[in-house]
Amino acid sequence: MKILLIEDDREAASYLIQALDEAGHVTHHASDGETGYAMASSMDYDVLVVDRMLPRRDGLSIIESLRAEDNKTPVLILSALGEVDDRVTGLRAGGDDYLVKPYAFTELLARIEVLARRSSPAEAATAFEVGGLALDRLSRKVERDGEQILLQPREFRLLEYLMKNAGKVVTRTMLLENVWDYHFDPQTNVIDVHMSRLRAKIDKGHANPLLHTIRGAGYMIRD
Amino acid sequence: MFGLAQLWRTTTVRLTAIFMMIFVIFAVVLLGLISWQTSIQLPRQQTDAIDREVVEFKRIDDDSGFRATILAVQRLAGQPGPGIYYLADPSGQLIVGNVTDLPPEVVAEPGTYSFNYSKPRPFEDPQLDDPQNQRQGYAMVRSEKLASGLILVVGRDVVERRGFTAIVFQWFAVGVGGILLFSLVAGVVTAVRVLRRIDTISSTSKMIMSGNLSERVPVTKRNDEFDALATNLNLMLDRIEDLMQGMKEVTDNVAHDLKTPLTRLRNKAESALREGQDEVTRKEALETTIEESDKLIKTFNALLMIARADAGTPSGALSDLDLSAVVADVAELYGPLAEDEGMAIETDIAEGVRINGNRELLGQALVNLIENALKYYVPEEGKTGRIRVSLRRAGDRVRIEVADNGPGIPAEDRSRVLERFVRLEMSRTEPGSGLGLSLVAAVARLHGGELRLDDSAPGLRAVVDLPG
Repeated sequence: MKILLIEDDREAASYLIQALDEAGHVTHHASDGETGYAMASSMDYDVLVVDRMLPRRDGLSIIESLRAEDNKTPVLILSALGEVDDRVTGLRAGGDDYLVKPYAFTELLARIEVLARRSSPAEAATAFEVGGLALDRLSRKVERDGEQILLQPREFRLLEYLMKNAGKVVTRTMLLENVWDYHFDPQTNVIDVHMSRLRAKIDKGHANPLLHTIRGAGYMIRD
Repeated sequence: MFGLAQLWRTTTVRLTAIFMMIFVIFAVVLLGLISWQTSIQLPRQQTDAIDREVVEFKRIDDDSGFRATILAVQRLAGQPGPGIYYLADPSGQLIVGNVTDLPPEVVAEPGTYSFNYSKPRPFEDPQLDDPQNQRQGYAMVRSEKLASGLILVVGRDVVERRGFTAIVFQWFAVGVGGILLFSLVAGVVTAVRVLRRIDTISSTSKMIMSGNLSERVPVTKRNDEFDALATNLNLMLDRIEDLMQGMKEVTDNVAHDLKTPLTRLRNKAESALREGQDEVTRKEALETTIEESDKLIKTFNALLMIARADAGTPSGALSDLDLSAVVADVAELYGPLAEDEGMAIETDIAEGVRINGNRELLGQALVNLIENALKYYVPEEGKTGRIRVSLRRAGDRVRIEVADNGPGIPAEDRSRVLERFVRLEMSRTEPGSGLGLSLVAAVARLHGGELRLDDSAPGLRAVVDLPG
């Protein structure tokens, strides 16, 4: 995956470039807003990671300009401003996701990988299938190996989000954001309990589990 | 103590000066009127009287001859008063009269004259040549030649009138001067008094500004506007002192609650670097470092959130919101976790309650209340832990309640736990920042409501009371 990182903190940037490289991604770096905008509009990237406060040009204005040029590259905004209204302005400017500093690298990586997916057709699919587990978004039915599984509405949404991002790590905060639409950090393992219930419903009695816990990062559904 | 320039700058002195000016203008106008009255009107009246008498003498002279005239003049001249009468024969020789030394031209030529003269004191033997018995007069006369050839001089002594005018002017000047002096003194005295009171206020504020926050402006028993001002200032100072005290507590707590984990963090990192550590210990140490820093970040975020909520976020952050859905969502989010911990979340949520609110903050507040109930629950034999989450509309209020049957909070500690970083002894060992309830209270305040902690016998009932 080809990523453009627009970030003025050189130390943070070099750490991110190295970590993304280890995760198998090619990362270009721009350390100010103007350069970043020039690179983003002239080259093709899978994901843009844009810091909000940048020298020479503000992160939000870069995104607005790109969107005005019909550039649909997914954008992850990084910011020290974490209040609800900051997030709303960030997303309104055309950002696709918003991550508040300081963050765990696993969180950033998971979000980048999920974002890159956005541009692929999976977003619009009406049905998902992973290793014999099938989810139909229209009839809201879930089956494993032809056997129907009854899920609560919230469990259905959890599973839907996981299957939409099958093979990708999904973090707890991503689940809380996308399934419950809350952006705070739960102090307890509130998400884990939901996941273990979901796991009991879809993996119980099956030899190969589909729902995996990724230590230190989150969850993943895969074959 | 007060310089002249400072005195002049005070409102009282300026007001006094303005009043003095107005008074002086008024006095001058009044004086003008009086002088006009005395210097124009009075002489005119006297001239008129002289003219009438002259006409009368002429008539007597015409009708009854010179003897009657002599008698008439003699009679009038004998009366006391300011009247001047003088009758001379055609050669200018005095026949009758109450004055003697008229200037020659008065007798020689008819007309009106004013002149100084001497006249005998009334009731004295008229030893006219003795200056002791004479007094100076100022005469205003009319001289006329009668048909019989006699020369008639009628006039008035105006010394008294002039003296009267002079006395009026004199007293007037004294009065004006006195009032000016009095108002000047009064103005200065009032100004000094006002300045002194204001000076106490400014010197108190100076003391407060230099750091002595417990100083207060003295309030007198007069109960005047300065006392009202002083009372209000003191109330304001009380509030500021409270806030400063709060700030100090927060800083102390920040120092304690953030420095302690920072120290732990540093110690862990150091121990990981120490020689002779194996790979596993090192890894563990680093993992703990990350955990500790995550906790710090959470505390930090909570602090920021409280600060933002307390500062009052821009109104854009509040929008029309289905509170019923928010409460139901959060209760549902925590249902499974509560069950795993051996507790049950019961809900009693009124449908369709909408308020103007911030979904994220209200959600976080509810999460904090439920997490508190979960955290302090102590499993007991034969007792199920219950958390009752309810939402009710009561008149124009909306109440979110989270009640548990856990240990509760003693009544005397209930207001204290709402302060930042306050953690009761029993909770010191539990994880948490001590900010949970403070945040709930701040969120309630942001929405124009309040957080109340009651006894739910047993347990704690937290009520977020919001305007609907």
